Amino acid sequence: MVRFKNRDDDCEVISEDPRCRQCIEDRALGLAIRDAITRVHGDYGLACCSISFTVKYLNAYTGTVLLRCRKDSYRLLCSALPFVRSLESRAQRYPCFLNTLHVGGTIRTCQKFLIQYNTTQLLRLLQNCTNEEERQCIQKSLLSCSLTEEPSPSGDEEEDD
Amino acid sequence: QNILTVCFSVGYSVVALNHVIDFKEKKQEIIKPVSPSELFPSLPIVQGTSKKIKVLTRLTLIVSDPSHCNLLRSTSANIRLYDIIAVFPKTEKLFHIACTTLDVDLVCINVTEKLPFYFRRPPVNMAIDRGIYFELLYTPAIKDSTMRRYTISNAISLMQICKGKNIVISSAAERPLELRGPYDVANLGLLFGLSEGEAKAAVSTNCRAAMLHGETRKSACGVVYTVKKPRKVEEEETAVPACKKAKTQ
Repeated sequence: MVRFKNRDDDCEVISEDPRCRQCIEDRALGLAIRDAITRVHGDYGLACCSISFTVKYLNAYTGTVLLRCRKDSYRLLCSALPFVRSLESRAQRYPCFLNTLHVGGTIRTCQKFLIQYNTTQLLRLLQNCTNEEERQCIQKSLLSCSLTEEPSPSGDEEEDD
Repeated sequence: QNILTVCFSVGYSVVALNHVIDFKEKKQEIIKPVSPSELFPSLPIVQGTSKKIKVLTRLTLIVSDPSHCNLLRSTSANIRLYDIIAVFPKTEKLFHIACTTLDVDLVCINVTEKLPFYFRRPPVNMAIDRGIYFELLYTPAIKDSTMRRYTISNAISLMQICKGKNIVISSAAERPLELRGPYDVANLGLLFGLSEGEAKAAVSTNCRAAMLHGETRKSACGVVYTVKKPRKVEEEETAVPACKKAKTQ
């Protein structure tokens, strides 16, 4: 069976500036990544990777990003991801870095991984919780996490800070 | 301290804090390492497992003269307090000495400028037999483009000689933003010429073995401490330096 094989990459954007997370846009992130690929692998790398390069999913609250590229060129992409230094959006530059969480072949596997990851993060937040209300909110959302038939993963996020 | 919190949130389980001693300046004394409990009142737990995070201390000596190595042989009490000792040789002769006779755990490879010497196979093979690891830094590569070129060229020339064994990749991060997660660092290893399995080992198992090497160096001569898992015992036997007698079980 002839099929285009893709690789999906699960990343998390980490930065010191708390405002950075709300301003993540998919286009800005795509530009930053392409820029990093050009710096590391040159024109050839950029051309190879951008055959089927898209930002599939972006969650501004948790800072998770799902990228998709061709299977042949995903190594170029993965090795260039550590070189992303800042994100630019609306004429402001935010220093940040990307942390790769998981690489999968389909969006479904990445979704499953994201749900597991989000539940572990919620558990961690639960430990640091001081407020009883917030604790109950988190527990409720933990119990309601599941893979639904819709393409977007479910699971509420509570931010303590 | 900020850097450490970011490390832990990204997923590292053991972190080593580095002190650098440069011998060109006069009157350098080895200071006592900062105890990790001063930084954190209670160590946070690693993401994903339920073990606490370990913070080790590490000393890097920049040697450009053979007389500087005498310090390592002296029985200065402060040296013993460090968990890992690394040496940064500047000349070929010192590289040879470091690989063959010096009692260190890591040999740092310069990434910020063109190497003044070429690697040769005999000292590198002897270092691999003794259980000494070669260390590459990745933070200069992230910061600056010319340093990136030197890093990659030095790393690839090292790979050609040592075939990817005994490599440790570490960051010399001074700010939390210069840090990268373990998966990303393993991908950087791919750029340096390592294969995928070797790159992952460079971040995990090789570092662990270097830590164990440091512990055998710290404990008294000739003692091999027993570990329950048989796999670790094998690592121990290779990690004991050749000049000390190894007591086999």
